[in-house]
Amino acid sequence: MSQVNGAGIRAARIVLILLGVAGLAWGVWVMVDTVRLERLPGVALWIGAAIIVHDAVIVAAVFFAGVLLRRAARRLPGTIAVVVQGTMVLGAIVTLIVVPAMIAQGLGPKNPTVLPLDYGLNLAVFWAVIVVVATVISAVLYARSRRANQRPSSRQS
Amino acid sequence: MYEAQRSLASPSRNPRMATVIGRLLGALFLVCFGTGLYSHFLQQPLPGMRLPTRPEFLYQFTEGTHIIAGIACFPLLLAKLYIVFPDLFTFPPVRSFLHFLERASIALFVGASLVQITIGLLNTYQWYPWPFPFRQVHFALAWVLIGSLALHIGIKLPIIARFWRKRADYGPGTEHLTDAVPAERAPGTETARLWGSSRPTGLTGRLIAYLDATPPTPEKVSRRGFLTTVGVAVAAVVGLTAGQTFAPLDAVNVFGPRKKGIGPQGLPVNRTSKQANVTDAVIAGWMLTLANSGVERSFTRAELERMPQTEVTLPIACVEGWSQMATWRGVRLRDLADLVGAGEDTSFRLVSLEQRGSFRQTQMGPEYVRDPLTLVALELNGETLDLEHGYPARMIAPGRPGVLQTKWLSRIEAISA
Repeated sequence: MSQVNGAGIRAARIVLILLGVAGLAWGVWVMVDTVRLERLPGVALWIGAAIIVHDAVIVAAVFFAGVLLRRAARRLPGTIAVVVQGTMVLGAIVTLIVVPAMIAQGLGPKNPTVLPLDYGLNLAVFWAVIVVVATVISAVLYARSRRANQRPSSRQS
Repeated sequence: MYEAQRSLASPSRNPRMATVIGRLLGALFLVCFGTGLYSHFLQQPLPGMRLPTRPEFLYQFTEGTHIIAGIACFPLLLAKLYIVFPDLFTFPPVRSFLHFLERASIALFVGASLVQITIGLLNTYQWYPWPFPFRQVHFALAWVLIGSLALHIGIKLPIIARFWRKRADYGPGTEHLTDAVPAERAPGTETARLWGSSRPTGLTGRLIAYLDATPPTPEKVSRRGFLTTVGVAVAAVVGLTAGQTFAPLDAVNVFGPRKKGIGPQGLPVNRTSKQANVTDAVIAGWMLTLANSGVERSFTRAELERMPQTEVTLPIACVEGWSQMATWRGVRLRDLADLVGAGEDTSFRLVSLEQRGSFRQTQMGPEYVRDPLTLVALELNGETLDLEHGYPARMIAPGRPGVLQTKWLSRIEAISA
């Protein structure tokens, strides 16, 4: 990195950090100014809980699901393992967004035009579709890897 | 801690991937911030602020974009956190006071981001399971997030600059990023250099040995798989919900909280007459009153119907992100304003029959009052306005959020400047 670039980056860093601190401070002030005092602990609680839910629950679930998948798919070509993994992640993320809609629907929407769809059914169909698509892709990849490598794969040891 | 970091090493967990996903996420945060701020100022304009009325679908576009970008943040934020997660186990946990501040700011950034997109999503479901007011907190957190983003970019700028472009070589210790070396990962690679080194022992070690019994996925396949998954996930969450505002995707709107065409007269409703406590008894003998510095004139619905009628096609676009085009027919507001002698620069206060609610009384600036598309609407899609859509009369103006398109309109009064 040239000297000029280095100086440019240093200047940009200072500006960004100062702007960032200003934005943060303004946000905190707006919060204190517009939200009643007794409600603020609730905000802090949610932010803390979000970190814990992510760093402990979601990460652990992803890690162990990954372990199991890697183990289960050890006899398969790496590409297929990745397709299976990707499908699970895709399904999980969509589920994460749709399940709250189902809960809110279960609690009773404020009017019939809010959450009017059958989200449970649609989610089931979505999972079915992605599993079918993943299976087709995996079958194609498997056939290809068999063709490309007729002798027993070293992966199967 | 090194062990924890080492055990979490994965081909997708590298600074180049953090930069690639991070800049997309950063762009989405900026889009959400900009469109959110715009929506905020439409609802609470600063003194003297004049707002654009064209194109008439502007708010439909900005608020639809706000929600779409927010939903797209879910897969991207989770991906970004996945990539940088080993950083959680930086050792020593705190090196200096400055380092403590940096880590604290990251914690706030992560927690606030997760809360922001979660409460935003649940707001579109009209579900509020938290102990604080949504609007105020969502707005304040927006500033916290945009500040944290600038701070974060500032702190990480050298890494971002180094990994911004795809290169054949990112410098010493990063060979594994470019497939220049075989897939086997050895200690001393960038992963190890940045996020720890040394072989794990104990339980972690046994777990790693267990994992290592599995041949690793080739890194290129793993990275491409990661990016493809993130891309498909973004496409899925956006594509399957955006139909609630973006008509071409209506057919695949299977997860959106609203559906075009579902509602009285084929239009969704945000606040019902029941919620607003507007009953037949309340609207009995209804008259619309216009007031301007002592001059007051009241009109029955029949009188309004006898005045020159205008038909406009305008979207109803909700702050919650759904929108739908509709045909409205009624009396131009500026014609009514002229009848009470209001000037070109007069702002109006719109009062609804509803008894409570933060939008019972709203203000309308002259740019909307004088606009030829702004109507006191009496008909919707060729029929008499449904009670749920604001019968006897409602406001409809170009480029305004649905909450300001006052339903069950009862009084329109000039605000003396």
